[in-house]
Amino acid sequence: MKKISAVMLLLVFLLTGCQTNSSEIPLILYNEVDPYILEFKDNIFKYSKDVLDIKSYDSQNSQLLQNEIIENVLEDNPSVLIINPVDRLGAYTIIDKVKEDDIPIIFINREPLKKDMNSWTKLYYIGAPAENSAILQSEMIHEIFGSPNDMTKYDLNGDNIIQLVLLKGEQGHQDAEIRSEVVIEELENIGYELDILSIEICDWQEEIAKNHVDELMKNIDQTIELVISNNDAMAIGAVESLLESGLFEDTNEDGYYDKETEPWIPVIGIDGIQEAFSYIDNGLLYGTVINDSEEMSKALIELVDLLQKGEDISNYSYEITNDKYIWIDYKKYEKENGAE
Amino acid sequence: MGNKQPISIRQSILVPTLVIVSLSLIIVTSLMFFGFQNSTTEIVESSSKEINKQIILNFENYLNSVIDTADYIQEKTIEYGLRDDNDSLFDIYAQAADVQPDIESIVLIDIAGNQIITSTFKDISEDDITQKEWYIDAITDSSIYHFSSPHPQDIFTVSRTEVITVTKMVDYYISGEEYRGILVVDINISNIITLTETTNLGEDGHIVILNDDDSLIYSNNDECDTDQCTSVQIARDIIFGGKSVDINDTSFYANVNTLRNTRWRMATFINTDILESSRIQAILIMGSVLIGTLLVSIVVSSLISRRISSPISKLKNHMAKIEQGDFYQKIEIDGQREVIALTHSFNVMIEDIRRLMDKVVEEQKSKRRTEFQALQNQINPHFLYNTLDSIVYLSENEMNDKVIKMVIALSRFFRISISRGKAIILLKEELEHAKNYLLIQQIRYNDKFSYEFIVDDSVLDYHVVKLSLQPLIENAIVHGVNTEYSEGHVIIRAFKKEQSLILEVEDDGFGITNEQIQEIFDNINGEVKNKSIGLKNVYQRLKIYYGDEADFEIESELDEKTIVRLIIPIKGAL
Repeated sequence: MKKISAVMLLLVFLLTGCQTNSSEIPLILYNEVDPYILEFKDNIFKYSKDVLDIKSYDSQNSQLLQNEIIENVLEDNPSVLIINPVDRLGAYTIIDKVKEDDIPIIFINREPLKKDMNSWTKLYYIGAPAENSAILQSEMIHEIFGSPNDMTKYDLNGDNIIQLVLLKGEQGHQDAEIRSEVVIEELENIGYELDILSIEICDWQEEIAKNHVDELMKNIDQTIELVISNNDAMAIGAVESLLESGLFEDTNEDGYYDKETEPWIPVIGIDGIQEAFSYIDNGLLYGTVINDSEEMSKALIELVDLLQKGEDISNYSYEITNDKYIWIDYKKYEKENGAE
Repeated sequence: MGNKQPISIRQSILVPTLVIVSLSLIIVTSLMFFGFQNSTTEIVESSSKEINKQIILNFENYLNSVIDTADYIQEKTIEYGLRDDNDSLFDIYAQAADVQPDIESIVLIDIAGNQIITSTFKDISEDDITQKEWYIDAITDSSIYHFSSPHPQDIFTVSRTEVITVTKMVDYYISGEEYRGILVVDINISNIITLTETTNLGEDGHIVILNDDDSLIYSNNDECDTDQCTSVQIARDIIFGGKSVDINDTSFYANVNTLRNTRWRMATFINTDILESSRIQAILIMGSVLIGTLLVSIVVSSLISRRISSPISKLKNHMAKIEQGDFYQKIEIDGQREVIALTHSFNVMIEDIRRLMDKVVEEQKSKRRTEFQALQNQINPHFLYNTLDSIVYLSENEMNDKVIKMVIALSRFFRISISRGKAIILLKEELEHAKNYLLIQQIRYNDKFSYEFIVDDSVLDYHVVKLSLQPLIENAIVHGVNTEYSEGHVIIRAFKKEQSLILEVEDDGFGITNEQIQEIFDNINGEVKNKSIGLKNVYQRLKIYYGDEADFEIESELDEKTIVRLIIPIKGAL
């Protein structure tokens, strides 16, 4: 009898286990090859460890695959979906689909179009305001060039105009567009006169950035005084190329490229990946803007927890803009205040 | 209810075998069928998904090539603009449009709709560009590429080619000044048509492309020229993902997915009727295998059960014959070892039974013989006593002639009676014996009756059971001769009639009634005792010796005569 009741219990457990909401929260990432995404994922798991049961899926940069993953996880009727869309333009279909099951979606990293976000109430986006990264970049540039009218020694040719090269991410990518546009705008707003020598489109990749800058160095006859990059990886590619061209030189061979005493030009990135920090430490990279995945993870976990428990969103410790957007701001990171 | 017919061996083999075979066959084939159905459904689903992916990738590749070109143009526009070399840009625009033949035109316009750079020499339309749908799309969201619905090209005055207009807000530089403009790339729809035509979606398989507001962008299905067609509705409902659907009695597998970098969704409808037909085929094949195997197993199991049961039922038939009394059969049955052993034992058994029966018959015969002898020996002692009494009387009255006559007759009578112990004697001896008896009785009855022999000479040498006539004659004299009123007459006849020897004793007495005849027969058959001992004795000896063919008849006419007749089969008398 005991055996039978144990089996029955197990059956009931299994059956009910299938029917109720799965406590597992799907985290559907656009591409785990992206180092920033991997870091983000690690942070999410780090902060969700004791709070939530999160299961991650890799869409391998294919919206088709992501759609299939979503179709499959919907069968388990999860209480919340965390989606890092592959194609932000296609996010409206995800919203339409999930809306039918009345499951809240939290988008991360890639922001769907405003009109799609406004198409339903239970949509959230946790991310960084792309403009701010560019504003922070412009602030750092302002710091090093001092003042638009009386520039520091980093205006190498002393013409009071900044000759710059812009390394742009993927053409058409929202972040690439906004970051490129805003950083120029901000510098002009401060009053700097700019001479954009070239805008190189390098698809976020170190390798492409290095090749493009190599090519540029061969053909250019003007002095480059500043390199602005949409992300760290391209900034590092540019640094490698500039090292070869002698724009950086460790004359005293102490392993540190001193911007005060040695040949040096400012190169600025965004994201704050680990590799960038070591470049900053030895002086090759002037600074970066940290896309704060750690803070975003905390915000995400808390939001998921609230939604899952059905608690009031007003208890949320982060500010929610327009009932949808949770903006986790970027942070500057440069040698002087490296500890930040 | 309780009177259930017990089932035969054949049934008890056939029924469970068929039940087991057909159950397991049905289970196995249905499992196989459902497995097959599931796996084919899975295969169709996954292959449909693969085809859909491939088509989507083809489209995405194509659209990406357009976007790449636009990106390239955008990059070059900034690059040359920064160098203040916008004159060279015309060549770049023209080349880019040339390299991709499906690009009708690449035009950069400013916010007011004025042409800045163009890839062709065509004149820009005089309409208000800022009212064009693609223009409005472009300025509503500056960060993305916008793909319009197919429409006749309207950026130029002359061209009317069916195009899709791709637009995006871009920056451009003139004399170091940054401006916002719109890049307008018109792509010929023919390439999209070609892409849809080269995909193999089966008969009536088709593609539907929807915009983000669910309006129809394009379909290669002739019936789908409005937003209301079934395929569009289905694609709307699915949103994205795959599903089996029926359109106009044709089954399709519909897949809907987004096209990257656009706001479009593409639905592929792949004909899966072929799956249906292969499923029907599978049902037919499995069904015929099922029925075929069932038939074979019916035949085989009935053969096996017949092989097992037929020797037993043969044995049963033999047994039935034995029940009817036929013990003289030998059973030869081929079959299983057990049946042969059974047959052998059976043969031994009936052999034994037969021997026992023969023995019983033999014993019966000897018993009858003993009985027969006993019956024969019962010569009425009163006769001897009365005769001797008569001789004494004759001697006292000195009737010596009669004494001599009587003693001689008595001596002959006994000689024949004894006959050296033989049970069967010649008819003429029996007649002689009868004559002596009559002679003695005639003297005793003082010639109150006469007698007569009517004998066919041919029968004299037949054999008869000894002392078969004397009791009948005694009976005729005792009951038939009326000594009070008249003389009696006794006739003894012997003749052949057909295959029988007939011996008759007739008297002319009172005769007897039919009731009396019946009484006599009841008596001699043993149902009534102690009457007509003589007749009974003769009758029994006849039956014992000759069997049922011998017979005994009594015929009588009242006041006329009585005939007692013995019918003896000739073959018994030879």
